[in-house]
Amino acid sequence: MRLGRTPLARKNLTHNGPRLLVAVSGIGFAVVLMFMQTGFKNALFDSTVQVIRSLDADLLIVGSAQYALPAKQTFPRQRLYQARGCRGVAAASPLYMESFFAVWKPSRADRPSGQPEARPSPIRVLAFDLSAPVFCLPDVIDQTAALQAPNTALVDRKSKPKYCVPASLDEVRRQRGAELSDRSIRLVGTFHLGTDFANDGTLIMSAANFAQYFPIRAPGQDPLALVDLGIVQLQTPQAADGVRQQLEEILPDDVRVYTKQEFIDREIGFWRTSTPIGFIFRAGTFMGFVVGMIICYQIIFSSIVDHEAEFATLKAMGYPDRYFITLVLQTSLYLSVFSYLPGLLLSLWLYQLLSANTGLLMMLSIPRAAWVLLLTLTMCIISGCLAMRRVLAADPADLF
Amino acid sequence: MCPHQDLSAAATRQAPAGRPTDADRVISMRNLQHHFGEGELRKPVLFDNHLEVAPGEIVIMTGPSGSGKTTLLTLIGTLRTVQEGSLEVLGHQLRGATRAQLVALRRELGFIFQAHNLFDSLTAYQNIRMAAELVDPGNHQWHHRIMQLLTELNLGQRVHYKPGLLSGGQKQRVAIARGLIHKPRLILADEPTAALDEETGRSVVTLFQRCAKNEGCAIVLVTHDNRILDVADRMISMVDGRIKSNVVVQIAAQICGFLKGIPIFTQLTPGTLSEVADQMRLEKYPAGAVIFHQGDAGDKLYLIRAGRVDISRTVGATTRSVAQLGQGEIFGEMALQDDAPRNATVMAITDLEVYTLNKDAFRAVIKRSAAFEEEIRKVIFQRQ
Repeated sequence: MRLGRTPLARKNLTHNGPRLLVAVSGIGFAVVLMFMQTGFKNALFDSTVQVIRSLDADLLIVGSAQYALPAKQTFPRQRLYQARGCRGVAAASPLYMESFFAVWKPSRADRPSGQPEARPSPIRVLAFDLSAPVFCLPDVIDQTAALQAPNTALVDRKSKPKYCVPASLDEVRRQRGAELSDRSIRLVGTFHLGTDFANDGTLIMSAANFAQYFPIRAPGQDPLALVDLGIVQLQTPQAADGVRQQLEEILPDDVRVYTKQEFIDREIGFWRTSTPIGFIFRAGTFMGFVVGMIICYQIIFSSIVDHEAEFATLKAMGYPDRYFITLVLQTSLYLSVFSYLPGLLLSLWLYQLLSANTGLLMMLSIPRAAWVLLLTLTMCIISGCLAMRRVLAADPADLF
Repeated sequence: MCPHQDLSAAATRQAPAGRPTDADRVISMRNLQHHFGEGELRKPVLFDNHLEVAPGEIVIMTGPSGSGKTTLLTLIGTLRTVQEGSLEVLGHQLRGATRAQLVALRRELGFIFQAHNLFDSLTAYQNIRMAAELVDPGNHQWHHRIMQLLTELNLGQRVHYKPGLLSGGQKQRVAIARGLIHKPRLILADEPTAALDEETGRSVVTLFQRCAKNEGCAIVLVTHDNRILDVADRMISMVDGRIKSNVVVQIAAQICGFLKGIPIFTQLTPGTLSEVADQMRLEKYPAGAVIFHQGDAGDKLYLIRAGRVDISRTVGATTRSVAQLGQGEIFGEMALQDDAPRNATVMAITDLEVYTLNKDAFRAVIKRSAAFEEEIRKVIFQRQ
């Protein structure tokens, strides 16, 4: 029978069940904390670009002064016609966005009894030319026909409760008496998009209806002449970079052209760098990291102190320092993995709970989970290195 | 108790080629000094200690607490840095050795501490394995050897128990097995039998003896357990940082046995006998060597350990052999008694080993015995 190495680090950790449980709960708590902080941060970033993701676009044309989506900066519809002339462009369609002049007033009947009359609140309205669909949301595609009637719109099911959107589709369709910017409006369907920093709710309607509700966007002119976002679809989406360059050359300086991913990155970059959001949640993650590190250090340190005589005995036998360094690092690794897995499961559950209850987009992608795993490993290894001194100081001369 | 430390040292110095030399010593300690602390706090704990331990030797070290036994043991075990003097263990000079050299040397040593220091999370088997796999993880023999050792220590039924389920004595025996598993060439043990009952203590000691005999393993035991003193080949007693007595038990017993058989010593008490033995030194002579000539000044008493001598006396021009003496007999005592020159020439017939007692020591002993002069006269009378 051949001897492998005795898995001392694992044995020492798993020997005392209750103690391991306490250790794993402590470090797992830090893992959950880090997951929640990065989750919130990503939810905020993800939600701001959710509307872009829902667009069936290869390239996007925006006013050159626009620095972020909520910053209203329109450009002449003319640019889209110019874009259509470019080789490789299959379609260039307008998307209208209005959140400044759009005010939603819920129907009296939808308000739960006993609550004070809901105050009118601003709402984001998106509009598109029904003949040139720009959304890739299946609900919107399916219900496009219903939007042809005057004074109709689709409502985002994930809008905040203050808009008093009824729970079921039937109720939504039956309801009467809601107003948008002092004009009666009828909801003919729902879709799922979500809220973000700037918007608590969203409506989608036809460009024709949009013109009826918001003539104020261009007093005395065609309200549809000024476009918020140009949606460009290409004959071959792979050619996006080339066509983008061509468009930049053809179009005047008042617009800029982005690929969809560039636009998403630009939007997230704005929120990350120009607002304290990124910093706040980084700080939150760091707090979790420090808490986890302290807990992990305590656990490793006390486990070393408890086994000091045994470690000294190993030293007397001739185990070299390198063995103890490996041992402590192994302990760190085990602790991080043992704590990460339950932390991950708990976080997944919390993400679901939160996105169901708040409408925040809590998405856990593999790179994000890997990032927290990396943080956890780093956290435990730093703790291990801090506690290392103690095991290296164990003196076998004290044993006799 | 019995013969002085120089006994074995003398044997070493005069040993012919082929016999064990310093290089074969498991422990060779010269002028070893040690202190704790520095400057004003400097406190010496060991003074000028000498010790030689041969392979297969079982050494029992005793002494009051604070006498430096533990420090001596940790120094031998490479667990402390040698400060002054010379200490060779298994042929490696420890003074000035690098840490890596010391760590490598430790793998040839077996430690048994007073506390068992077993990992609670590992079974008895795994705890012992920790020592085995360090020395040679690829060896296929370990499993067999671990099982055999545990069985010998009466733990065959507890192989896969964790320390939490073992009694104090059982844990101590597991720790002993861990110290022995890798067949160390030197075992250092601190009160290994203190936690054991008489029977298991005896089985541990028997195991030690077998290691010493079969594997040539030297064993240094610090113990106050007088149930196991009988296994000692050498007894060392330390007082105030010095090795006060260093006795090779077997030689001491042999000398006492010889002396008891000699009429002039038969009246001595065992205490006085061992004191005499304590003063004796070993000397060796090849066959044909003359130990002393007639007419030389007498300075020593000789006790034959091995070999034969011829005593011849020259009267006028004729030399006549008067006697031949063998093992256990003494000669040279008459010149000491009368302060006269040697009255005969003594020559070794075979290779000769003798224990010698110098004149002053001899006289001191004589004064202790009222009957001694009478005895001496009787011996002389009988010989003539």
